[in-house]
Formats: sequence, C-alpha cells, structure tokens
Amino acid sequence: MSEEFIVTVALAGLVTLGLKSAFIEGQHYFTLPKWFVEALEFVPSAVLCALIVPSIFKGDVGLIATFGPVGIDPKPIAALIAAITFFTTKKTIPTLTAGMASLYLVYWVQL
Amino acid sequence: MQKTSPTHLRPRALQGMHAMLPLLPGIIPFGLIAGFTPISFGYTWLDSWMGSLLMFAGASQLAAYQLMNEGASIWVILLTVAAINLRYVLYSASIAPHLADANRTTRLLAGYGLTDQIYAVCHRDYLTHDWNLEERVAYYTGGTVLLWGLWQACTIVGAFVGQIIPVFWSLEFMIPLTFLALALNTLKTRSHQVAAMTGATVSFIGLDLPYNLGLIFGGLVGIIVGVLHKRLSE
Repeated sequence: MSEEFIVTVALAGLVTLGLKSAFIEGQHYFTLPKWFVEALEFVPSAVLCALIVPSIFKGDVGLIATFGPVGIDPKPIAALIAAITFFTTKKTIPTLTAGMASLYLVYWVQL
Repeated sequence: MQKTSPTHLRPRALQGMHAMLPLLPGIIPFGLIAGFTPISFGYTWLDSWMGSLLMFAGASQLAAYQLMNEGASIWVILLTVAAINLRYVLYSASIAPHLADANRTTRLLAGYGLTDQIYAVCHRDYLTHDWNLEERVAYYTGGTVLLWGLWQACTIVGAFVGQIIPVFWSLEFMIPLTFLALALNTLKTRSHQVAAMTGATVSFIGLDLPYNLGLIFGGLVGIIVGVLHKRLSE
C-alpha cells in the first residue's frame, strides 16, 4: 500500500464523510439553494455517463492485455449489448452478464 | 432529556434491521464487484477493503479505484468522488432534523453510515412513527450496522475471489457496466436523457484531453444542459 494510495483513499473518505455529514453536523438548518437541488437531479445521469465513456473507448481490458489486440475493440459492442439488455430487463445482473459474455464473444470470434 | 432504557431500544434496532432486510440482496453483487475490481487493477485485498472502510459509498469507490488505475490526478479523483456522492447532501438535509439533537459522536457515525438504503427506510418510517431521539438513533443504527457489516464482508470476499480469477477474465470491465446500469436507471425524463447524452458526448470528444478533463467537462456540461432543457420545456 503506497503512501499516495492511502492518502488518496483517505481524502476520498473525508470528502464522502463531509458530504454525508453536511447537514447532520450543521445544527442550524438552512435550505439548499433551488439551483443546487435542481442541478443535483441531473448529476447521476450526466456524471455516470461521462465516467463510462473513457473505460469503454480507451485502454485495454485484461483479455486484450493477455492475448493481444483484435481488429474491432469488443468493449463498445459489449457496452451496447449491455445497454439493450438493461432496457429490456431493467435488471442489473442480466445486464452485467450480457455485457461480459458479449465482451468475450466479440473478442473470441475475431481470433 | 428522559433516558430510555436499553430494553426499550432493542425493538427499535431490530425494527431497523428488519426494514433493511429486503434491500440487502441488491447490494451483494455490487459489494462483490467493489471488492474484486481493485484486485484486477493489481491492488491487494487490503487496498480494496480500505475503500469500503474509509469511504463506504459503492459507486464512488469503484470510480476512485478506476481513476487511480488510470493515473488520474488526486483532484480529478476527489472531484469525481464528490460529484457521485453529492446526492448525500440531499439525504443529509432531509434526515438532519431527526438526528440533529444527538451527540457529536452519534452524528458523526450517522454521517459515515449514511447510505441510499438507510435514507430510504428512515425517510419512510421517521415520519410515520412518533419515536424519540434514542429510538430514532436505535432504528438508524440497527439498519446501518447490518448493511455496513454485509458491505464490508462482500468487499473482502470479493477481493479474495478476485485474487484467484485470472486477469484475462477482464473483471474490471464490470465497473463501466455497473455504472451503465446505474446511469440508465436514472433516465426518467427527457431532460435526464439529454443530460446523459450530453455528458457522454462531451466526454467522448474530450477523450484525449489531459488530466481526465473530458470526463470532468462531460459531467459539468451534462448537468447544465439537463437543467436548461428542463427549464425550457416547462
């Protein structure tokens, strides 16, 4: 466990605690500004989607790092199939299963 | 304040645990993923557990490890963690009136233990019961201890399972897939869809920007566009 790692995780923990405790700690209530509540509603949609993009379109998964690259990157296709699965089932586990299975399959057919 | 005897509080703690039960199966796979994906990045089981222990917030744990693995700067990591956990401010504001009279240690622990799940059950049950502060704290503690214990156990089990699974299984790809399912689940209105599409598009355009700026801009622009879309369509 490097020093940088433990500092990063500890600070991330502090940030999280700060946000969680923001109001429980503050004895004096004040109402959240309206714009803040309004923006908060869109945070998960926007931030999670922005966060997904680099891990789908950049870098190599363990599969490629181990067995070498193929013509078409299987990650975007696997993500698309996972998305379709989520829209049809609305369940997380089938979505993960379909995504991982397509990742392996799309890689394997190109070998 | 009138002291309540512990025997009186035990049913409240049990009630809190009972209320938490139906929400537990949903966190097991997520806890396992939070445990084993850091392993696929080369972290040890202890490193992996640190996130669960110090942060105790699943989605932001995954994001933090992924960004650390990509070599992102500490500011990008903290900003992303803050963005993902921003919803807790809303929970905190909503739950605060019920717990604000508790002592400092209790409040701090309650803050640490705040989750989507405990918020959901407390928000539902505090308003419909005439409980005093100790009873509310007991209920909160019961539910949170159960959830916390299971989450820590799942992370550790996940980390050990991750150590035996070979790298080529590409388990780290489960992080974006998990986020994908979480994100798609939030697309309730047209404005949310617009926010998501914008976030993804900006992030894609900015893929090669340094310091993961593409992802930061994507998040920010997505939020702003979502708010504007909602205002304009009302």
